[in-house]
Amino acid sequence: MIKITPEEVTVLSKYVADISGIFLDQSKAYLLEGRLGGLVEKFGCSSYSQLCMKAKWEAGGSLEEEIIAAITTNETSFFRDTVPFELLKHKILGDLIDKRKSQSSGYFPTPIRIWSSACSTGQEVYSIAIVLKEVLQDLNKFDIKILGTDISGRAVARAGYGQYNKFEVERGLSKERLEKYFNRNGNAWKIKDEIRAMATFKKYNLMEPIAHLGKFDIIFCRNVAIYFTPEGRAKLFDKIGNVLETDGYLIIGATESLVSVCPKFEPKRYLSSVFYQLNHSRGI
Amino acid sequence: MNNLRILVVEDDPVTLNVIEKRLVKAGYEVETAESGVEAAELVVKRFFDVVVTDLMMPGGMDGIDLLEATKARWNETEVILITGHATVNNAVEAMKKGAIDYLQKPVNFDELTLRLQRICTLKSLRKHASDLREAMDVTENTAAQTIHDLEIMVSELRDSCTTAATILADQGLEVNERVRKALEVLSSRTSNLSGTKAS
Repeated sequence: MIKITPEEVTVLSKYVADISGIFLDQSKAYLLEGRLGGLVEKFGCSSYSQLCMKAKWEAGGSLEEEIIAAITTNETSFFRDTVPFELLKHKILGDLIDKRKSQSSGYFPTPIRIWSSACSTGQEVYSIAIVLKEVLQDLNKFDIKILGTDISGRAVARAGYGQYNKFEVERGLSKERLEKYFNRNGNAWKIKDEIRAMATFKKYNLMEPIAHLGKFDIIFCRNVAIYFTPEGRAKLFDKIGNVLETDGYLIIGATESLVSVCPKFEPKRYLSSVFYQLNHSRGI
Repeated sequence: MNNLRILVVEDDPVTLNVIEKRLVKAGYEVETAESGVEAAELVVKRFFDVVVTDLMMPGGMDGIDLLEATKARWNETEVILITGHATVNNAVEAMKKGAIDYLQKPVNFDELTLRLQRICTLKSLRKHASDLREAMDVTENTAAQTIHDLEIMVSELRDSCTTAATILADQGLEVNERVRKALEVLSSRTSNLSGTKAS
């Protein structure tokens, strides 16, 4: 494999940060080399800088998509960390529905809008949908939309297809849930239509403008901001604040901190978990 | 290293005996069954790492039926099919249903051993991955608790500072009174800090 030079690390890191927000310093040279080395050869380039030039030349093209797919971490699983889904089940959904029901005429189904902002291959979205089904039972009384977005078009396509191999379903899904919400398809399991119908998937880069996505009652933004620079993080959560309903709920990764990043949000504790709401009292 | 528990299923007792002997000699823990039905009964009762089964068997339960029954009971059990030349297509079908591999008759023992070693490697990689995941989960959970406590603490401290600042800026009060009240707010908060952590 071709070695990457320190200058190339600088150039490529800048490029990766520009297209994805992901920040890699010189210490991550091994990561660039390991993950992009194959692409240098595949795209017939003689060096990493040539690869970078080629990708810039064809902005939005297949090479850019490949670089994003290679550099992003698709680590995910059904009901990852468990706690956020318990929080959703026992606290947030009940509170939200009470609020929304009292606001509506009762004539139309109660709307619930949820956004999984870095959904990878869809496990988070379907975990949310399964919780909704388990809590709400009769889905016809609700107008549910769960939007799953990810920077990787490939990940989003897989998410939309909703089919998982045995290793993927073994992670986080109980046997009961697997049999109840998935159909076996040879070696794989495919999510059932009733659950799939709650979800929409879209390729979306968190660096881009956000307003067109609409407003959400609940936003999941877990383990994404950790890859950004502190400034990038602050910008991201500020933007997220703009598309969260004023009484909405934000759930971040289990080991992420927000109070020092974005003053718009206030942490709220529920049992052993924490979620965030927009801060109204300080007039920020 | 050969710590796999294997069930060999073959309706021809001579072939069955040969495979069993060779596998035992190679250090595997082996059980045998002479029909699909007998094998299915064993599989329901206990876990095998690998089921090596003939594809074509009389008695209402062939290799594919056994594959399905095994996978329904233990998803982690790997199934290797043994097939005659004429039934290779069926074997490919079976792989789509979850069999890990197939061998053609007559069984080449080296080939079977290679397959089993590969399953061993796969198992240990899987174990390694799940160990890493477990370690990561423990670390993450501990870190999460600490971070949650700190988040709440910082947020409450920020509140107290804002309150204290408001009091200090209150022109309607005597200076001494402002300082006294502000200190009261701040000290009540700092004395609570250890309490926040314990909860």
